[in-house]
Amino acid sequence: MADFSIRSDSVNVEEIMRQIRARIREKRGVDYTEKEIRELAAVKLEQFLDPSKVRSDLLEQYRELQQRQMQAEAEVVDEISLFGSPRPWLRRVRRWLRPVLKLFLNPVALMRASRVNVRHTDLLFEIVHNLVVETTRLSMELKTLKMRVESISSRMDFDERRARALESVVQYRPGAAAEEAASAAGRKDEDEGEGEATASRSRRRRRRRGRRGGGPRPGTEEAIPSAETGGQTAAEEPAVTRAAPADRPRASDRPGEPARAEGQPRTEGGGNAPETASSPAAPRPSADAAPRPDGHSGPDQPGD
Amino acid sequence: MKLAVVVQRYGADISGGAELHARYLAEHLARHARVDVVTTCARDYVTWRNDLPAGADRVNGVPVFRFPVDRVRTPRVFGRHSERVFEYEHTVGDELAWLDAEGPACPRLIRHLSAVSQQYDYFIVFSYRYYHAYYGIRAVPSKSILVPTAERDPAIGVSLFQPIFRGVRAIMYNSHEEQAMIRAVSGNAQVPGVVVGVGSEVPDAPQPERFRRTYGVRGRFAVYVGRIDENKGCNELFEFFQRYVALRQSDLSLVLIGASLLPVPAHPRIRHLGFLPDEDKFDAIAAADVLVMPSFYESLSMVALEAWGLGKPVLANARCDVLRGQCIRSNAGLYYENYNEFAEALYQVETDRNLAAALGENGRDFFCRNYRWPVIEGKYLDMLRALQDEDRAAGPQAVRTSPLPPLPGWFARRRQMRRPAREVMNQLPLVAEAGAGSLAASPAATGKDRDGG
Repeated sequence: MADFSIRSDSVNVEEIMRQIRARIREKRGVDYTEKEIRELAAVKLEQFLDPSKVRSDLLEQYRELQQRQMQAEAEVVDEISLFGSPRPWLRRVRRWLRPVLKLFLNPVALMRASRVNVRHTDLLFEIVHNLVVETTRLSMELKTLKMRVESISSRMDFDERRARALESVVQYRPGAAAEEAASAAGRKDEDEGEGEATASRSRRRRRRRGRRGGGPRPGTEEAIPSAETGGQTAAEEPAVTRAAPADRPRASDRPGEPARAEGQPRTEGGGNAPETASSPAAPRPSADAAPRPDGHSGPDQPGD
Repeated sequence: MKLAVVVQRYGADISGGAELHARYLAEHLARHARVDVVTTCARDYVTWRNDLPAGADRVNGVPVFRFPVDRVRTPRVFGRHSERVFEYEHTVGDELAWLDAEGPACPRLIRHLSAVSQQYDYFIVFSYRYYHAYYGIRAVPSKSILVPTAERDPAIGVSLFQPIFRGVRAIMYNSHEEQAMIRAVSGNAQVPGVVVGVGSEVPDAPQPERFRRTYGVRGRFAVYVGRIDENKGCNELFEFFQRYVALRQSDLSLVLIGASLLPVPAHPRIRHLGFLPDEDKFDAIAAADVLVMPSFYESLSMVALEAWGLGKPVLANARCDVLRGQCIRSNAGLYYENYNEFAEALYQVETDRNLAAALGENGRDFFCRNYRWPVIEGKYLDMLRALQDEDRAAGPQAVRTSPLPPLPGWFARRRQMRRPAREVMNQLPLVAEAGAGSLAASPAATGKDRDGG
């Protein structure tokens, strides 16, 4: 459907065209108009152009050249200057002989050629001017693109570091929960204090996720079900495997190990680290410790 | 009253804009006066080859006198002359050579006009830029009424024509833009002139379904009617339309009606139906969602008027000031200068049916007020009567006086340097949009504004 409706009794074509043009401008966003680009090219040339390659006063030079050409045109093209001379006697002789001289050459062609030259100079001026405008535009676009590339690469670095940190923390092992329960029962008394601390950490994390709001984003810790939350299932596990960086060998890639079927949980031998997720004694490389794109490395929320 | 219509080509199957205009006008004025047509034997406007037999003929009841063209036009030679006159400083001799090269060079037609000048009250001469018009008006200046069909192309800057614009008895303009352009180039404000245009026999009940059945056209479509030519902006139209369909995921098709001088792109959404009879053409326009008019140069778009007469909106090229002016005056068409505007405007018409209907309604109203044949005939008859009254008042002596200067002599043709025609054209002011407003509302449309005539 159209963005604006028009009553049949009040159609104003000019108004519609104004709206259409406004919409085109909106779609193009903060694009520069031709006028703005020309202003930029004329005024701030030295700020955008590479001075070693394009002279910033190129336009001025060509304008001067054009004026000189126009002055020169007035001197060259007319017949008086063609047959003229500063010496009066020579001028007179040439005037007498002009009909004869015209038999040997065509002064009209000379005049035409001269004017064509002037016209070509005009064209050259236009070409150079357009080149400067285009170079300016491209230079600006290049700067913008460079900034975008830098921004994207810093985000990518951040995501990679975050993924590695999470992988070193999150490991899944079938039967780990049962073993954990048995060992936890044996150590219940001595570890009671530490267990409470772990539970409170989990609660704090859940609270923090709640405060962040929104659904889980890909590549973030919300998108990767962790054993810590107890929400991971066998079907979800390959997602953790897929999230591993490519440089880390998978179980099926290792010599002497059979390829693992899709959906089959990783065996104990597949892990390369002890189950630190459920081990309260192990250091906790939290995602919070990873640098953020804005350069802030502290916790997300105060008091965390 | 006895009138002669002088035109470069004439025939029931000749569909050029000015030629169709002349035929319609002759047939309609024949109801009010005795009308003869004086024309050439040419059918092809590129070469002016003598395809039709010379002598008397009758087309739709109107007597036609055809005269053979002396030499065919060679596009290469004409192109060389055009370049010289349009792009460089030149002499009057160059301009006359250009006119001869353009043709249709038909001195027998000119001699005939001189011979029969006393038999006719007025000669309505079409298309200022051709040989027959220039020399024909010079043969009978005080009885010539010019229908210039002038476009904003470099020919308007050729200095030969300025005395013609000032020396004819009256000028029947096609549009306000044309009038302003000719006045600016020639300073002919004293010449009686009126903006008339041309009417059209738009059927009251077209049958779009018949067109769809006959030609197997399904779904919604935009239609282009006219010669498929680069000068008509068709290349640009093809490019824009293909981009539009690809980017907007539109189900709109483009149907082309008319003879093609260009290869039509092989695109599933573009269909070329060739030349169609009037009945099918009107049915096609009635079946279409919108008529696209991509031409850069028009003195008056008859097909746009016909689309408006059938209640269809028009999408026109804004770089043609006449089309843009017509869209604004009628409030019945959108216009574009580039692809973005083309796409947005077409999208508006395609998706907003209320807007399309409103534009079509305005178009129909504009057509009825200004371009119905009774309105057009009335303007011509008013002008003819006014000229007759002037002639009677001034007496026979005044009528015989030629207002045109004689043709320059041998030396004068070689001495005077004239500015490049394109440069002259570029310096002509564009008509301000202040000219907007309906033709009917403007004094010129009533035929009362005789501009001092």
